[in-house]
Amino acid sequence: MFDFSTSHFLIPDLLLLIFPFIVIGSRLFCNAQSKMPWRIANFGFIAIFILLNFIPLASGEGRFFISNWRIDDFGVLMREVLLVSAILGMWFAKDYFEHGADGKPQMHQIAEFIGAIAFATFGGVTVVSACDMLTFFLGLEIATIPMYALTAWNKKDQLGSEAATKYILMGSVATAFELFGFSYLYGFAGSLHFSEIQTAVASGTSPLLWVAVLFLFCGIGFKLTLFPFYTWAPDVYEGAPTPVTAVLSVTSKATAIAFLVVLVFGPLAPIQEQIAPLIALLAGTTLFVGNLGALKQSRLRRFMAYSSIAQAGYIMVALLGPAATAKTAIIYYLFVYAVSNYLAFFVFGIIGHHREETFASLRGLSKQNPSLAISLAISMFSLAGIPPLAGFFGKFHLFYSGASTGHYMLVAFAVLNNVLALFYYIQLIKSAWVDEPDGHLTPLRLTRRQRAVIVALSIAVVALGFLPFLSNNIVAGFSF
Amino acid sequence: MDTILFNLIWVIPLVTVLACIPIPAARERLLRGIHTASATLVLGIVCYLTFRVYAIGSVSANEVAAPLLLRFFTDIPWLSMFNAHYIVGADGLNMLLLALTAFIVWAGVLVSYRIKGNQKVFFALIQILATSVYGVYMSFDLVLFFVFYEMEALCMYLMIACYGSGKRDYGGKKLTLTLAFGSSMILATLFGLYFEGGVNSWSIMELSKVTLPMEFQMWAFPLMFMGFAVSSSLFPFHFWSPDGHSAAPTAVSMLAAGVMMKMGAYGCLRVAMFLMPEAAKIWLPYVVALLIFNVVLGPFIALRHKDLKYITAYSSISHLGLIFLGLAALTPVGLRGASLQMISHGFLTGLFFATIGMIYERTHTRDITQMGGIMRKMPFLGVGFVLAGFAGLGLPGFSGFIAESTIFIGAFQQDSTLTRIVTILAILSITTTAVYILQTANRMLHGPLPQKYESLTDGCFREKLVIVVLVACLLFIGICPGWISDMLDWSIAPIFAKISAATQPVIGGIGG
Repeated sequence: MFDFSTSHFLIPDLLLLIFPFIVIGSRLFCNAQSKMPWRIANFGFIAIFILLNFIPLASGEGRFFISNWRIDDFGVLMREVLLVSAILGMWFAKDYFEHGADGKPQMHQIAEFIGAIAFATFGGVTVVSACDMLTFFLGLEIATIPMYALTAWNKKDQLGSEAATKYILMGSVATAFELFGFSYLYGFAGSLHFSEIQTAVASGTSPLLWVAVLFLFCGIGFKLTLFPFYTWAPDVYEGAPTPVTAVLSVTSKATAIAFLVVLVFGPLAPIQEQIAPLIALLAGTTLFVGNLGALKQSRLRRFMAYSSIAQAGYIMVALLGPAATAKTAIIYYLFVYAVSNYLAFFVFGIIGHHREETFASLRGLSKQNPSLAISLAISMFSLAGIPPLAGFFGKFHLFYSGASTGHYMLVAFAVLNNVLALFYYIQLIKSAWVDEPDGHLTPLRLTRRQRAVIVALSIAVVALGFLPFLSNNIVAGFSF
Repeated sequence: MDTILFNLIWVIPLVTVLACIPIPAARERLLRGIHTASATLVLGIVCYLTFRVYAIGSVSANEVAAPLLLRFFTDIPWLSMFNAHYIVGADGLNMLLLALTAFIVWAGVLVSYRIKGNQKVFFALIQILATSVYGVYMSFDLVLFFVFYEMEALCMYLMIACYGSGKRDYGGKKLTLTLAFGSSMILATLFGLYFEGGVNSWSIMELSKVTLPMEFQMWAFPLMFMGFAVSSSLFPFHFWSPDGHSAAPTAVSMLAAGVMMKMGAYGCLRVAMFLMPEAAKIWLPYVVALLIFNVVLGPFIALRHKDLKYITAYSSISHLGLIFLGLAALTPVGLRGASLQMISHGFLTGLFFATIGMIYERTHTRDITQMGGIMRKMPFLGVGFVLAGFAGLGLPGFSGFIAESTIFIGAFQQDSTLTRIVTILAILSITTTAVYILQTANRMLHGPLPQKYESLTDGCFREKLVIVVLVACLLFIGICPGWISDMLDWSIAPIFAKISAATQPVIGGIGG
């Protein structure tokens, strides 16, 4: 049905570009309570996801628009990760737009909300597709700016506004760092195009290049919450509305890591060995600091913020490996991380609808609502990397990539840090499983849709790693 | 056919868990029935396969599995992303450990009939734990091995913290995190084994055919050995075991002390020593020095404790020390003794914790100073406890005597003053063991019966059955050990061949 040229590769991207406009535009033709935008959004995301699967993998890469737009295997799989994140985020957010117990929805304007998520997704797609610094930078900004808006979605929420201000300020500084890095890189190579930069880097280095690299890593360090640029994350994660936190922790992290993958295995590939110590240092400190920070948290979203900082550190370990191994490991891990993280957020979301979002609200969960407690345990053990759950295989793959170039010390450090991580994940499981129920807590009610999503995600987390046909296929793509 | 049955060993518990999901938690009788049936079925299969392995003997081994003599060998590509295979097989050593596990799991299910709390989740966790232990003993691919090895962490915390007694949260965390610490040390070295081995395989057999670089072995062996030793509570990583065991419910204590602690010793032998024999020769003398704590001080600490489970935990620490003494001896007799001790101690400590659990269920205390005269009310349980004690102090006729004497002979054969001194100390420390076991039995079982215990009853049929079966196993190993040491001998031969072939390179400054 498609011709054999690669031009049809572009269809999903173009659809994804038009899609947010359609969703937001649909608001013009229907009233505020209409389900139309929601249905369009569901249909659109899933259709794009299915279309993506028609792009056969290992068929080389397509280049478009004066070879500034590249579609390769990594890009396709990354698009799938971003779309999965967007779909899960949208489903998660749905409950917040519905009428709660007090008759009022917690959030308004679902069409614009989904539109913003779609823009962020498109930004991520632009980052993985970019072949020159201009598009690259544009993608990063398209991915970030909707996030600022999403963080401040509840206008009257003071915490949310504070978080958004903090996020914008930090994000702008990061952007400035990146632009500075890009300008030096341009000054060094004399070209914006990645392949020409790569040639220039391969032919020799200069202090100018190191300054550029340093600034680029600092800039992306903000977005990926690397040590020492992670400090905004806990406040923003806590201040933003819960569904935004969920999207922020997956989509924006995936975009940032894609940025690094494109950079390290693209223009900077010739000096990957020289920047390995820098990556190792960032990875080691980030996962250590994230794990340390999570130890003493008692609020769920702050806890998830530190946990996701640590996860960013683990992902960085994979960047030390050879290109193919590292890309597979990162894609697989991002997928696993998205599923596990959303599962945790779904459970926290249900708690948050009825109670405060603290560890204390989880007390007695295993007695009142065993299936929810089991799902929580599954997601926490998966994030902690306990086999046979998917998280273990994901982390195994990351460490495998790091160790394949002989970075045993860093891998050993990361693995030992896992014990620390296990401690705080167990701490959370303890609240749900061991502590006695508290009579004052309001009982939880699950809608059928919530139950279905939680069961499906739990099964995914259990089966994804263990069953070889599943895990191999995720790496090999979902291609039909 | 046998191969399929063999693979079913770890599948059946998982299938049982899945099958029980739709059954409502309130139908406890049905759930218990299903889990008991499943455990009995696995026990039957394992016993049959053990007889098969014995009957086939050392001949007609599968060539593919060389140098190990494996039966029921299966090799299926599993995770192509990092070349992991699903490799399982059985030789005498792991078949016997599987049999031990099956017995303990079966007994564990039987003694947990009256556990308080959600029984559906508890039995599911026991079955997942059983899967993990079966898997560890079956697998010969390092990734598969590690997956099963680390799976225990999933269940241990929940089982101890939700169903335990006393400081259950503290004990559960301590146990889980210490074990996770150990397995993280193992994981770090596994990557090294794969990439330094250069054969692009995680298979233990493939890796055993190459000699790993000495620089790598020198740091990897201690890391891996200690990682495994954590779960066998070798000093200085023994601290989790008393708190963990005392907080755990009966079945979990039985499984943890009976089979999980053997996983560490098994891993030391099968993975660390087998794959890195050169470094083993250099590092094991240091391990012997550490053993002084386990073997000599362990019994003395047990002497001072009043809590039955603490006493048993320290007695386990000292008995597991003997396993390491046998391993560190690096003689065929020592290795055989160590393997025998793994199996013997599994049954013995299983019996110990089972009787303690049953007594605790009735008296609601484990403090021996609070008890007395229990023999008058519960003669059957009392006799079970005394028999476990006798086996523990190495009375001839029980399995403990055979295993320990083999270890001592093997260790004394080694031409090293340190090992001989430690061996003599270990032999002397059996006296201490006898003291604390007899003292505990005396205080608990004899003397005046406290008023509040007048209404206690002896064990029911289910409990008597567990005690009779475990005592029978102990006696069987003790009275005709030839049957088992035959199987062990030809299984350990390839491991010993690899170790004795290793030439010890001269490295300045370390060991020698």
